[in-house]
Amino acid sequence: MKQLLVGAAVAVTIAISGPARAEITVCTWGTITGPDALVNGMTYGTRDYLEYLNQTKGGIAGNKVRVLMLDGRYKLDEELKIYRRCADQEQAVVINGWSTGASKALRDQIQEDGIPFISESFASEVLDPKKYPFTFIAGPTYEQQMIIALRDLAKKGGKKVVLMFSDNEYGRGPVDVVKKSGIIEKLGLEVVDLVEYRYDAQDMTAQMLRVKGKNPDLVYVQGSTPQVLVALRDAAKVALPAKLFVGNLYNISPAIPQQLGPAAEGFRTVQTYAFYGDNIPAMKEIEAYGQKNEVEKKDIYFIKGWLKGKVIAAAIEKVIQKNNGQVPTDIKAFRKSVRDEMEALKGFDTGGITPPFTYADHQGSVQARVAEIKNGQYVAAGEWIDAQ
Amino acid sequence: MTMRSFFIGLALAIAVALIGYEANRFVAYLIYSVAISAIGALSLNLVIGFCGQITFAQGALVGVGAYAGGILGNAGWGGGLSLLGAGVFGALVSMLVGLPALRLRGLYFAISTLAAQFILSYLFKILVPLTNGVSGLVVKQLSLFGRPVGNDQEYAMICVTLLFLSWAFIGRVMQTNIGRAFLVVRESELVARGMGIDVSQTKLKAFLLSGFFAGLCGGLFAFTSRLANPEAFEIGLSVDQTAMIIVGGLGSLAGSVVGAAFVTLLPEAIQRLGELLPSADLISAFREMAFGILIVLFLLLEPRGLVALARRLGARREVASSSAVRSETGVVESGVAVSVQNRREL
Repeated sequence: MKQLLVGAAVAVTIAISGPARAEITVCTWGTITGPDALVNGMTYGTRDYLEYLNQTKGGIAGNKVRVLMLDGRYKLDEELKIYRRCADQEQAVVINGWSTGASKALRDQIQEDGIPFISESFASEVLDPKKYPFTFIAGPTYEQQMIIALRDLAKKGGKKVVLMFSDNEYGRGPVDVVKKSGIIEKLGLEVVDLVEYRYDAQDMTAQMLRVKGKNPDLVYVQGSTPQVLVALRDAAKVALPAKLFVGNLYNISPAIPQQLGPAAEGFRTVQTYAFYGDNIPAMKEIEAYGQKNEVEKKDIYFIKGWLKGKVIAAAIEKVIQKNNGQVPTDIKAFRKSVRDEMEALKGFDTGGITPPFTYADHQGSVQARVAEIKNGQYVAAGEWIDAQ
Repeated sequence: MTMRSFFIGLALAIAVALIGYEANRFVAYLIYSVAISAIGALSLNLVIGFCGQITFAQGALVGVGAYAGGILGNAGWGGGLSLLGAGVFGALVSMLVGLPALRLRGLYFAISTLAAQFILSYLFKILVPLTNGVSGLVVKQLSLFGRPVGNDQEYAMICVTLLFLSWAFIGRVMQTNIGRAFLVVRESELVARGMGIDVSQTKLKAFLLSGFFAGLCGGLFAFTSRLANPEAFEIGLSVDQTAMIIVGGLGSLAGSVVGAAFVTLLPEAIQRLGELLPSADLISAFREMAFGILIVLFLLLEPRGLVALARRLGARREVASSSAVRSETGVVESGVAVSVQNRREL
């Protein structure tokens, strides 16, 4: 027992003392275990793309990438701890973080440290290329996703909208921004009710009865998959059809049609990336990777992660090219150059995951389309709509 | 608290603060995380461990301190005053939370604190002009003596210093009549009344003191994380800090610190060990499970916590060494083992 404890202590000491020698370290953290683990393919996807490069091309421009995937557990203190580990101990050149809370808490620190940081959050509060030049996101903000759904409704002649949202930052924040922007009125729509629910709600029958009383043309749900599951289940109880409901990107989960069956038919979401399994060049890469490795997450979130991996790799590759094929030895300068290259990406080919984009706005593609559950599968139900 | 333990505590605090100052940011972060949690655990131990009042409102009280400290800091108050303000607000709200203790006891009182936890959590979300609602309050940098605290190493020094001061202060209080009254109330309210102790007032004093340190803990949390948001101060935080005092030792000052260190660092240790193995999600899940299993094991095997365990092992070692001396010298000193054991328990 004593030897075991000594061995464990030595292992921890070695692990804490710093990274093994590697040229390029990229750190990615997500909710591996925690309340929003259903969408953690975003973290796996980034790791797997960089591993794919290691296996097929010897890394980035021939330099092996050390990818560190960590579990933030959707806990602020855990994420703050991981950030420090990645920034300081692991000397990561790029960090891919997770929650809105951590991205907000760290936003000044990230600029001071000068580390390119890609947040999984789509919150507009962390997106400001002038104020936060090192912070990036990877797609339309929550507000833009909501606007895409509302534009789709306006195009189809709908009028009355109910906005449903969870009682936290993720729920309330985007709804407040869109309401105040005046875009709803500009589109000729009317918000007939605002319905809030608990983030951990297990029953929404009361809310659904209230929604039914308003007879809306569309109910936009700003929530994650677990809440949408409850919402659609209880909507079916009061005979509200799923086709009335539209969710955001984080509601494209096989769990919804699998668990709800016919009650989920017609439910729509905003789709910002290609589906897993679509006939696109990036999927060919994933399939090639999958021949030798197990792809643990086969969903749209994994595709998003793959896209982030591509962006990170492209920027690092350009820096190495400009540095005569060498990995810069000064980590600060390396990070700054990677940031500059990320911002300079123009007409970036995403392998069909999104339309090609420019990253000067720090969010990449702002196009999305509406997808719908048909026969238990998500299928694209419209053209790409620009949210700008 | 003896002079000996005071100086041991002081020496340890100086050593850890210096390590924190010299260490890299990650290690400094771990040090101040433990220190902040330990202040929270000390505060909770005061109410539960020393005064015997079960409370579930700790997370919300830490939140009150976080918002109070953050609001005062953002308003331009100096760091010292903001932290003091965080403590004072924590103390006042804690007294309100403790008021039902005048009429309720045991489980009924515990439930009233649970209600307070939920009410405060709700207030954090709806008092938007003060708390910025669910978006959370972004907190300015802490400034001390007119100079901003710029890095994790400085935070480590400040937090360890405040932990030492909190520990020494509570230790001193426990040597006064107020502290002794806490212990008597914990053992039996009937006996306490019989001894002329005002039980209601004693409980409120415990809540007042405990609330001050919970508020201080919250203030430090807000300044170090630069964000106070409602999700951070929910019932989970109360559970975490309760786990710290159970693992460390109920009614033990040192136990609060040891428990906080153990609960804060254990996940990291498991994470690092797990990284030597291939499956990330398996290890992450194990980390959560290990935490739960440990709590159950402590409750079953050593309810008095790590500190009592260490004392028992220390006493056993002393007994073993004295028996070795006895066998060498042939001198029989009956009762040594028992007296050593008794001394340690005290």
